[in-house]
Amino acid sequence: MNMRAVIKGNSEQVEVTCQSRSLWSDALSRLLRQKAAVLGLIIVLALIASAIFAPFIAPYDPEKGKLSDRLQPPSAEHWLGTDSQGRDILSRIIYGSRISIQVGVITVGISLVIGTFLGAVSGYFGGILDLLVMRFIDIMMAFPYILLAIAITAVLGPSLINAMIAIGIVGIPIYARVVRGAVLSVKENEYIDAAKAVGCTNGQIIWRHVLPNCIAPIIVQATLGIGTAILDAAGLSFLGLGAKPPKPEWGLMLNQGKDALQTAPWTVMFPGLAILLVVLGFNLLGDGLRDALDPKLKD
Amino acid sequence: MKRFTNKLIIVLVMLFALSVLVAGCGGGAPAEDQGKQEAANEKVLVWGRGGDSPGLDPANVTDGESAKVTINIFDGLVQYKQDSTEIEPALATDWKVSEDGKTWTFYLRQGVKFHDGTDFDAEDVVFNFERWMYKDHEYHIGGTFDYWGYMFGDYPGVVESVTAKDKYTVEFKLKKPMATFLANLAMFPFGIASPEAVKEYGEDFFKHPVGTGPFKFVEWVPDDKIVLEKFEDYWGEKAKVDKLVFRSIPDNSTRLMELQAGTIDIMDGISPDDVATIKNDERFQLILRPSMNVGYVAMNMEKEPFDDPRVRKAVNMAINKKEIIDAFFAGLAKPAKNPLPPSLWGYNDAIEDYPYDPPKAKALLAEAGYPDGFETTLWTMPVPRPYFPQPQKIAEAIQANLAEVGIKAEIITYDWATYLEKVENGEHDMAMLGWTGDNGDPDNFLYVLLDKDNAVKPAGNIAFYKNDELHDILIEAQQEMDQEVRAQLYKQAQEIIHEDAPWVPMSHSTPPIAAKKNVIGYVPHPTGVEKLNTVDIQ
Repeated sequence: MNMRAVIKGNSEQVEVTCQSRSLWSDALSRLLRQKAAVLGLIIVLALIASAIFAPFIAPYDPEKGKLSDRLQPPSAEHWLGTDSQGRDILSRIIYGSRISIQVGVITVGISLVIGTFLGAVSGYFGGILDLLVMRFIDIMMAFPYILLAIAITAVLGPSLINAMIAIGIVGIPIYARVVRGAVLSVKENEYIDAAKAVGCTNGQIIWRHVLPNCIAPIIVQATLGIGTAILDAAGLSFLGLGAKPPKPEWGLMLNQGKDALQTAPWTVMFPGLAILLVVLGFNLLGDGLRDALDPKLKD
Repeated sequence: MKRFTNKLIIVLVMLFALSVLVAGCGGGAPAEDQGKQEAANEKVLVWGRGGDSPGLDPANVTDGESAKVTINIFDGLVQYKQDSTEIEPALATDWKVSEDGKTWTFYLRQGVKFHDGTDFDAEDVVFNFERWMYKDHEYHIGGTFDYWGYMFGDYPGVVESVTAKDKYTVEFKLKKPMATFLANLAMFPFGIASPEAVKEYGEDFFKHPVGTGPFKFVEWVPDDKIVLEKFEDYWGEKAKVDKLVFRSIPDNSTRLMELQAGTIDIMDGISPDDVATIKNDERFQLILRPSMNVGYVAMNMEKEPFDDPRVRKAVNMAINKKEIIDAFFAGLAKPAKNPLPPSLWGYNDAIEDYPYDPPKAKALLAEAGYPDGFETTLWTMPVPRPYFPQPQKIAEAIQANLAEVGIKAEIITYDWATYLEKVENGEHDMAMLGWTGDNGDPDNFLYVLLDKDNAVKPAGNIAFYKNDELHDILIEAQQEMDQEVRAQLYKQAQEIIHEDAPWVPMSHSTPPIAAKKNVIGYVPHPTGVEKLNTVDIQ
């Protein structure tokens, strides 16, 4: 009896791992077949690499410049030119990628954790709880996205951390809705009934059986969300509600360069381009993932 | 894959379309040039500036954008010479002061008319002064008459009475001698308004200004433009242009584009980074306003560690003024070593500025007990001012300088009104601020900005610097009538201030103004506002 159970368990386990590996490897191969998604992946990997290796690849100190070198156009010495404080723009963009990754991960982390929790609980239990949570989410969604973020930073005080918190909070409704939708369909499955039948607690069921089966839309949403979060944080910094000087934050760099738009366009062009590329990268990758993880497109 | 290529193409096409549209808008502006058509019949001078006037009743405004307009509509009893702060006759042709300095008699100009056609005489002067100085005057309305309080101490303050001796003679009795009395009367807030108009419009007088100046008020479209026209019966040199239009164009680069497009004739508030562009364009002339201002970093002496003079001196030695001025003022400023601008009498040129010397600054900090520096805040204004044309960038450069000696300063900024309110309440550690002189008197700088009387919240003295010795000197200078003696007192005052170092005096700027080459006869005044009756368009 014992033996059988173990053997059975083993074979099940093997089977499960096989299945899941094939799902993910299928998805990966589907992803790699989409050129746009690959481009996005390359951009994202490049961003991560530049964040990790910033001290090795950045030619200058991002926060120190010589005023005598200010507003120099791109040259062999300063590939992307220098800003109004005489700092090397390339170095600032490279170091800025650290801030961007930080922003992307932390803000999405906040929205993801809280949003997923709310969505899962409200979808799984339904009833009055569902009603309350979703109405609350509706209220949040009634505010214009960026306006709500501005309002929250205004209350918390302007700083990069607070900007991240604000954008994180503002992002909650999307995750809550996505997860709730997924949970609603997943919880009708027979294996959930089975889990209930063997006496799993609600927490166990949500954590081990429901959420893992909702993971695809969450991953897609998170990937897309990182791009949006970086863009919004740059926007808040541009408005003076995010990163503080001398931090090499891209949105802040845009703000600082805008006065010299006519005389030194490189001070805004390159940080702008960096934001554009990264957001594009995450969007392409997110779109690619959505298609790759969509079981209906399975060939 | 194909879907994405399509999406990309669509995005690119849209971007392209957008850029064409934007470029098209830029190119379209000069075509709709109404100004030129009007100019065929009459001469119109269009002045482009950064903001609208809050009001046009000079006694009830304190800001430059209002003063710039009202000075063209109103005359005071006396006025400043066109290019200096020396006093010359205006509505009063002559005046005398009694031996004890307490009685001033003004002899008024005859045959002067207000824009509404009424005649100007001594009763009108009395009406205006009583309106400003008595809080219970029937027409002490439409504002709080701040400048009267600033200059004369209170309501009624130093003035005991104003009486009309005859139709063209006015006598002022003062409670105590006041050295700056005459210079104060030449300031823009003390322009004589038509009593008839004040009575007619009441609270709304600020929208219907009527004075005796070279231009009369025509129209005000809020946040867009104020239109004045030549006053044919002006007593002085009549205006050369038929119309004077003040247009509000908040964005510096937009305003420059309008100048380039020819829709405005003259503009102020130029970004230092654009100075070279204007200099190199042969269609324009760059005019520099004589410097009568100071930009400074005040250290809040009520807070640690700035209560220690060694720390304040160290900060003075840590900041590289010369480099900052070269970088952010387009060279259009001089490094400051005194709170007074060098153009003013009483300036103490013998004072030697603290040198830029980071190692010495570090040594001083160590001596004061901060060998590793400290953390603090540096407050800066969000809007360009004549004395700090790029405050945010200057703050960042100061931040970098301070970091060199171990002082980690976080840059703090608020919107302009909040900023002023907060620094006047002493919420800052270090704050950037500045001052443009109103009346060409050293008292207007030293007493207003550094005396202990003004270190009371809301303070003009935002270093909260209190020195009794300095206070005695400044008060003595206020009541001394001999300018030579006063100058000596002010020189002494600057020595004390230098030694105590409540500020880092940063700069005395010469704010640039750009005009088309065909604009002639414009003379910028050191106080920042001037009558434009001598300006012509060729």
